[in-house]
Amino acid sequence: MRIVFICLLLLCSCKKVAIVSNTTDEVNITGYLQLHPDKFSSFLKIISITGDEGFLGVYGAYTAFVPDNDAISAYLQLKGKGAVENIDVQELKDLVKFHLLEDTISTSSFSDGKLNRLTMYGQYLITGASNKDGVTRITVNRQANIIESNIRVGNGIIHVIDHVLQPAVYTLAAMIENDPRYSIFSQAVKETGLYDTLNILPVANTDSSRAWLTVLAESDSVLKNAGFNSYADLKARFSYTGDPKNPDDSLHLYVDYHILYGVKYLADIVSSTSHNTLAPLEVVTSKLSGQTVLINDDTFNGIYEPGVELNRAGSDNAASNGVLHAAMGHFSIKIRNPVPVYWDVANFPEIRNLPAYFGKQNYPFALTNMPKDITVAGPSAMQYTVGSTYVNGDFLQIPLGGPNRSAWVELRTPLLVRGKYKVWICYRTQKQSGSSNNVNQISVDGEPLQRTMNFTTSMPVSSEGEMEAQGWKWFTDPVSNGWAGRQVGTIEIKTTDRHLIRFTTLQGTQNTNNLDMIHFIPQDMDQLYPRFKTDGTPVPRP
Amino acid sequence: MKYKFLLIMIFLSSCSKWLDVKPQDGIIRDNYWQNKEQLKAAVIGCYASLLDNALVQNLFVWGELRADMVSSTLYTTVDEISIMQANILASNSYTGWAAVYRTINYCNTVIDFASQVIESDKTLTQEQLDAYLAEAHGLRALMYYYLLRSFGEVPLQLKASSGDDQLQQLKKSTQQEVYDQIMKDLLFAEQHALETYGNILEDKGRLTKFSIYAIEADAFLWMEKYDDCIAACDKIILSGRFGLMDGNVQSQWFNTVYFTGNSNESIFEFQFDKQKLNPFYPMFGAANNRFIGAPRVMEEVYGIDITDATKKDIRGDGGSMRATDQMIWKFAGATSGTQLDARTAADSYAHWFVYRFADILLLKAEALAWTNRGTEALELVGSIRSRAHALVFTERTPDPASAIDVSNYILEERSREFAFEGKRWYDVLRHAKRNNYAHLDILLDMVAFNAPGNMQQSIINKYKDVRSHYFPINQYELQADKQLVQNPYYQ
Repeated sequence: MRIVFICLLLLCSCKKVAIVSNTTDEVNITGYLQLHPDKFSSFLKIISITGDEGFLGVYGAYTAFVPDNDAISAYLQLKGKGAVENIDVQELKDLVKFHLLEDTISTSSFSDGKLNRLTMYGQYLITGASNKDGVTRITVNRQANIIESNIRVGNGIIHVIDHVLQPAVYTLAAMIENDPRYSIFSQAVKETGLYDTLNILPVANTDSSRAWLTVLAESDSVLKNAGFNSYADLKARFSYTGDPKNPDDSLHLYVDYHILYGVKYLADIVSSTSHNTLAPLEVVTSKLSGQTVLINDDTFNGIYEPGVELNRAGSDNAASNGVLHAAMGHFSIKIRNPVPVYWDVANFPEIRNLPAYFGKQNYPFALTNMPKDITVAGPSAMQYTVGSTYVNGDFLQIPLGGPNRSAWVELRTPLLVRGKYKVWICYRTQKQSGSSNNVNQISVDGEPLQRTMNFTTSMPVSSEGEMEAQGWKWFTDPVSNGWAGRQVGTIEIKTTDRHLIRFTTLQGTQNTNNLDMIHFIPQDMDQLYPRFKTDGTPVPRP
Repeated sequence: MKYKFLLIMIFLSSCSKWLDVKPQDGIIRDNYWQNKEQLKAAVIGCYASLLDNALVQNLFVWGELRADMVSSTLYTTVDEISIMQANILASNSYTGWAAVYRTINYCNTVIDFASQVIESDKTLTQEQLDAYLAEAHGLRALMYYYLLRSFGEVPLQLKASSGDDQLQQLKKSTQQEVYDQIMKDLLFAEQHALETYGNILEDKGRLTKFSIYAIEADAFLWMEKYDDCIAACDKIILSGRFGLMDGNVQSQWFNTVYFTGNSNESIFEFQFDKQKLNPFYPMFGAANNRFIGAPRVMEEVYGIDITDATKKDIRGDGGSMRATDQMIWKFAGATSGTQLDARTAADSYAHWFVYRFADILLLKAEALAWTNRGTEALELVGSIRSRAHALVFTERTPDPASAIDVSNYILEERSREFAFEGKRWYDVLRHAKRNNYAHLDILLDMVAFNAPGNMQQSIINKYKDVRSHYFPINQYELQADKQLVQNPYYQ
């Protein structure tokens, strides 16, 4: 009888139902590594030493670049250590942090440059693709190839890499100093005192705008080609005060001009058209021509100025506080005096490419196909208008004001040289209906100008001088009172660059805002001439 | 005794209808394939499957997105942008080939069962049967030719399968094996296909002897068999059945060739119509269209005569695209000439142009260029250009003796002539891979120009790996067919 009783008990225990207590069987980063000890046992050992095992095993959003076992044994060999336990714990902690980002980043958002999130170590990782013997691999930090990508786990993404990533150890200053090709430039960096600026780690830098910097260095051979055989030559050419440490000294400015704010890999440099330098208010412009990265390759005042190429092979060198590029030519701040810009706003590439319309008939732009240098707020766009003449026989008709018209329009100017300008808005006066009104505030790069202008206001006609005093001029030849030039104020253009001018409607709403030209005339120059004929010919002061 | 009687009763009742398991609302295979009308219907069904939205959408995406003629808009999908930026993963929906294999399976079904008909329908002659079979073989070859160029190695499914898009568990065949199968199918089709069906609609919408020659010419050129290509082209040219449509009045030319379709220069087109619209309206024509022509198409491919708007390449503004908003006009345009009106959603029935006579002339020209007959090649290019009123801006004068210069010029001309017709990527790839990838730079220059600046170097390096020129096998296919192995670049 007793035996039967025991047997029954045993039967019961077999029937126990497993209660599922976890909400998902998806593993997290640590869990995934534990599932594949054949590949990741070494990395697991590292994160257990550093204590990172825990947080990689709970929820979050991380990207982990995980070196496999082979990668770590190669790293140990390089370090001359027998096992991971022999490496200093702090060093391991830094190493792990350098492999982790607090975001989920898949390979499809990789570019040629840096990932747009810092690693937890505090340095950027750069990505790319390299081709070796016909086989292309995605690379990380130019140190490792990705061998397995985009493994999604509960708390992020894992990319398996074939080498351990190692953070940059040199600062920009040290990197330039250590490279014998930059001996002249390096000396200039030291003599100007900028060595210290380039030698601070981002965490230690009190000036956050200079925490990360980018240097466009000129090698000795580049300088020699430009006629500078030694630092002395460079100093003799640039240093006017004799004290390169003086921030106003031209040699100081010359070096400043080679340092950009922020960490900008070539991919970042080509993504923007101009970059601020440490030289106050001086920018370098940049562009991608074919595969060539060019800086300061501009057309200025109708004259083409060939730029300087950044050597792809010698560039994108990561330092602990930025990135170092190699310029293949000598460049320095261009000293330019302000020149007037008489800008016909109805002449831009998109409309020139439509010969059936350009100069021939009206073309209504839609929000979907606005020219790249003109932006409207919507819902209305603008019309390229022909036939009612003035300069080149065309103008832009830009509906402005609410509620069914755009609240503002913004145009990118031609290149303006640093300096003070008076700004003239040249328009055809027209009221859409008797009560129409359209008062606009003009701003340049967000800075409002002193006066407003109204597209429906006819100019008060008197003598040239009186009108100028009131801020009006004829801009056409022969003069026409229906075509008004309105001075909206004086603006100081701080950088030689293309700027944004915006019309924001303050009052009224109508379609017939007929914008023909915008004049930027240096304040000490003749403001009233030249005037313009219908074919665009400038007519100088008689 | 009683038991015996009962048993007989049961036996008898089993013959009656309630034990008959045939479906009452459909036809089963045993009852089909009885007469030639059914056979014809099955063949027409193969063509009808070409009008599947997914198929032409794939053909456009495969043939254009990795090349340099198309730009994205705000509405382009993530998968589409990924292809344009060389970020192609096996999870990308455009790597699915189900739509192509569906048509292949229909062809397989005809090929497997058509021969039964001749036994049951004595009015069907062997000749007629062979003609139908030729169409199925030809269409299957065309589909495999698309797969060959897009995926490289694909499984050769040559038997009908019960499920529509279900494959047997098959291994991939090599490119050479796929090519050989294509050629085998085409050889049969060439011998038995009809020259004409007696009316325009069927001549352009079903495969004729000449469309088979066209596929052959294209495939021969792909495999660098230049003499064979020239011979195939000549069969079409000398037939006298095709010619270039007059291009003197752009509006008429556009209306005949693209808006209406089935023109005299057409060889084979997918026959969309008002009953079966194409999927192009949301892709190209709608306000929230997903693809527009690249800016370089007007500026560089066709060129613009700034001084005289009447001087224009008819294939440019109003031919391939509307310059004002870069709309892809071949499929989205209703009128051309001076007034450019777009198709409405209800009019979105532009055909998919598989082969036009112009294609034959340029395929032949390319083969001539590589067989030291550059002068003849340039004459053919000249005839295409003069029909199209091509601008002097796009005229080149390559040395006729230099095969590569002449063939590069032909490649440029093809981009003008077949803009957005789903051929550009294949054309560039064919030129790049010629002579064992001797001209990879053609492809790299193209992607360098097209790539976003911050990804350019990565993209170039990806394309330097020639294995990346073919798509990965979709992850769904890998799960469904355990025999398939992912293409090495994507492993």
